[in-house]
Amino acid sequence: MKNYNPFVLMFYFLAVVIISAFSENPVLQISALLGGILFCAIVTKSSETAGNIGFYVPMFFIIAVTNPLFSHNGATPLFFLNGNPVTLEAFVYGGAIAVMAIGVMLWCKCYSEIMTTDKFLYIFGKTVPKLSLVLSMALKFIPMYKQQTRRVSRAQKAMGLYSSKSVTDKIRSHARVFMAMVSWSLENSIETSSSMKARGYGLKGRTNFALFKFGADDLILLAVIVILLGVTVFGIITGETRFYYYPRISTLKFSAAYIAFGFFSLLPFIIEAKEAIKWRYYVSKI
Amino acid sequence: MEILRVENLTFYYPNAENPAVDGITLSVNSGEFIVVCGESGCGKTTLLKLMKKELSPVGKKSGSIYYNGILQENLDLKTSASEIGYVMQNPDSQTVTDKVWHELAFGLENLGVPSDIIRRKVGDMASYFGIQNWFRKNTSELSGGQKQLLNLASVMVMQPKILILDEPTSRLDPIASSDFTATLQKLNRELGLTIILVEHNLEEVFALADKVLLMDKGKALFFDRPENIADIKTEHPLLLGLPSAVRIYNALDIKDDCPLTVREGKDFLERHFKPKDEILPEYVHSETISVELKNVWFRYEKDLPDILRGTSLKVYSGEFYCILGGNGAGKTTALNVISGLDKAYRGKVLINGRQIKEYKGNSLYRHLLAFLPQDPQTVFIKDSVKGDLTEILEAMEIPKRIREEKISAIAEKTGIVHLLSKHPYDLSGGEQQKCALAKILLSEPKILLLDEPTKGLDACYKQVLKEILSKLKQEGITIITVTHDLEFAAENADRCALFFDGEILSADIPEKFFSENSFYTTHANRMARGLWKYAVTVGQVVMKAKEN
Repeated sequence: MKNYNPFVLMFYFLAVVIISAFSENPVLQISALLGGILFCAIVTKSSETAGNIGFYVPMFFIIAVTNPLFSHNGATPLFFLNGNPVTLEAFVYGGAIAVMAIGVMLWCKCYSEIMTTDKFLYIFGKTVPKLSLVLSMALKFIPMYKQQTRRVSRAQKAMGLYSSKSVTDKIRSHARVFMAMVSWSLENSIETSSSMKARGYGLKGRTNFALFKFGADDLILLAVIVILLGVTVFGIITGETRFYYYPRISTLKFSAAYIAFGFFSLLPFIIEAKEAIKWRYYVSKI
Repeated sequence: MEILRVENLTFYYPNAENPAVDGITLSVNSGEFIVVCGESGCGKTTLLKLMKKELSPVGKKSGSIYYNGILQENLDLKTSASEIGYVMQNPDSQTVTDKVWHELAFGLENLGVPSDIIRRKVGDMASYFGIQNWFRKNTSELSGGQKQLLNLASVMVMQPKILILDEPTSRLDPIASSDFTATLQKLNRELGLTIILVEHNLEEVFALADKVLLMDKGKALFFDRPENIADIKTEHPLLLGLPSAVRIYNALDIKDDCPLTVREGKDFLERHFKPKDEILPEYVHSETISVELKNVWFRYEKDLPDILRGTSLKVYSGEFYCILGGNGAGKTTALNVISGLDKAYRGKVLINGRQIKEYKGNSLYRHLLAFLPQDPQTVFIKDSVKGDLTEILEAMEIPKRIREEKISAIAEKTGIVHLLSKHPYDLSGGEQQKCALAKILLSEPKILLLDEPTKGLDACYKQVLKEILSKLKQEGITIITVTHDLEFAAENADRCALFFDGEILSADIPEKFFSENSFYTTHANRMARGLWKYAVTVGQVVMKAKEN
């Protein structure tokens, strides 16, 4: 999945997150959650799985329970708590919010795994070229700055300057190092700018190069995304997927949007699984 | 064919009385490899920058520079940017972007080359330089040598006709630096690229050069083929930077061709002298131990491999002890452990017989131990050298009236009196090194730890540093140095030790240490070992030859 063109990926992520966050339909939300879980399982390391379950499952219940405790809307009271009714509708709605929230969180997690900074910069660079160069320079500068700060503070420590454990000494030592780092940064940027000038920065007609291409694979994926998304959005606009919880939970009607969105949110899993199977097959042939 | 001509070029910086470049005339043919050398501040960098239009400093310029017969002022901007490549000293600051591939593409982007062609040219260059394995890495993850290679490649991708390099290897360790030099030689041989290189360490590049330009106070002292260098018979400090073979030849006054490489030097010595057996000098040292490591283990993080694996060493009081060894072997880590910056998780570190953890607060760094890090710039915090010196005296709670006295005494000793009012960042590498040394000496240490003190220094500054260190040694200060510079170790150390695989292997006097190693030894010893086994420095070889 991560080898597709960043624009296609960005479009896909935005579509999934927006639909699952703003449609109030449980089928759409549950399929987004399922897709998110499966995608996450592939993208994250297996050593993190236990930690993730330990975080997201309690999170789910906390969100689900919070709603019925504070919202007393709904027509079917189950029991009374401190004189307030706790309703079935609020319970179900709480569950739906939790499904939506966890789904969105998982998709965001996948987003951060797949959309690395260089992909983000590429999308940025295509739209605002100057800014993308500035960002790229900043990303180069930050680790260098950190390393130099460490070197300076160690050198200062080895001279025994303000290295005692008292709070005032600590603050003073940080302030001193920071001041030195300001002059260091200025000095450094002068050299960087000569190096840029020497390589012709500032000439007219600068182009923007990126490693990413838009190939046939990207076109196919984009077509699939557009078709599935079209069917889903059609269902949402025509009201086929309209669903409400208050005052009473409405009933679900069948819609083609459910099938389309089901496939849509499972797309990354299908792609990854297909590749994994293919890989196995090739390995077995070797 | 002539590619670059400099005619009677003189240049004054604003408000300067003396010219930085004084009436230089020279002509460079296409495909030549020119090495420029001279003392720091002799105007080499200024001359190089004047050759590259975009980097010309502000000031008063007379004379003219022609590139391919076109006057520099009339040169098209695009041609100038792409055809004259310039590589600077600092590997970090001349990198512009965060990704290796983006850095390679940067120049071509500026020239407005379309994406497909950039892709091809970048691929071409990355394969030539062997960058493909780290092509998608962040530039911050690269080693110094890789960074400098990337800087070279990202200039080469613009297909320059001339490559100008200003001390590109001075911040690199010897192995990375000889790789870099080999790459330059390859570019020159295989692509016929014209190269103008400023370099301090002439041992390797001297024999590669078609012509050598020797500069002194802005003037060209010598511009000719390297083997004719012996024609200048002056006692100039510059000559200390020449390759060992040339220095031996110069000192001996024998009618023969001037040797440039180790092989030629060996032939030369064996033609004129006879072998002689020698007795190794006795080593006398004090019985008190200043620094002792007993079976010390260290690693940076729990999951990382051990850097020190049962290191033990003993340094006697008043001794000059050199730790040599490959890159990333852990020499600097050993020094960090001695200085108390890193803590060993097993084993004992004894300073003057007491365990290092018994020194509470700053007591280790007061009148006892001082550490000069590899990058002297990290020592400075204030905006003048004097401010930095005063600061350490304040921290030592020295009364105000004695401070001036102490500062002038130390400035006198290290030769930095004229630098006191300057900003530390305006100083050259050698001057920074001296000022940093002055600062740490103010804590009046008994033990001095130096990490690569000769890195990036020219021969004159090495000489100065040598004199300062021998003064300190006479005062009874124990000096422990980590260095890659074998010549420096051979000339100064009482004992040398090899650091390998997390341990200190053998510590011995330089004569024995170097004569027993076949690769890890000085150039002078490689030439003379067949004749006089224990001659390891140029001075010793010359002395033996004169006795002969």
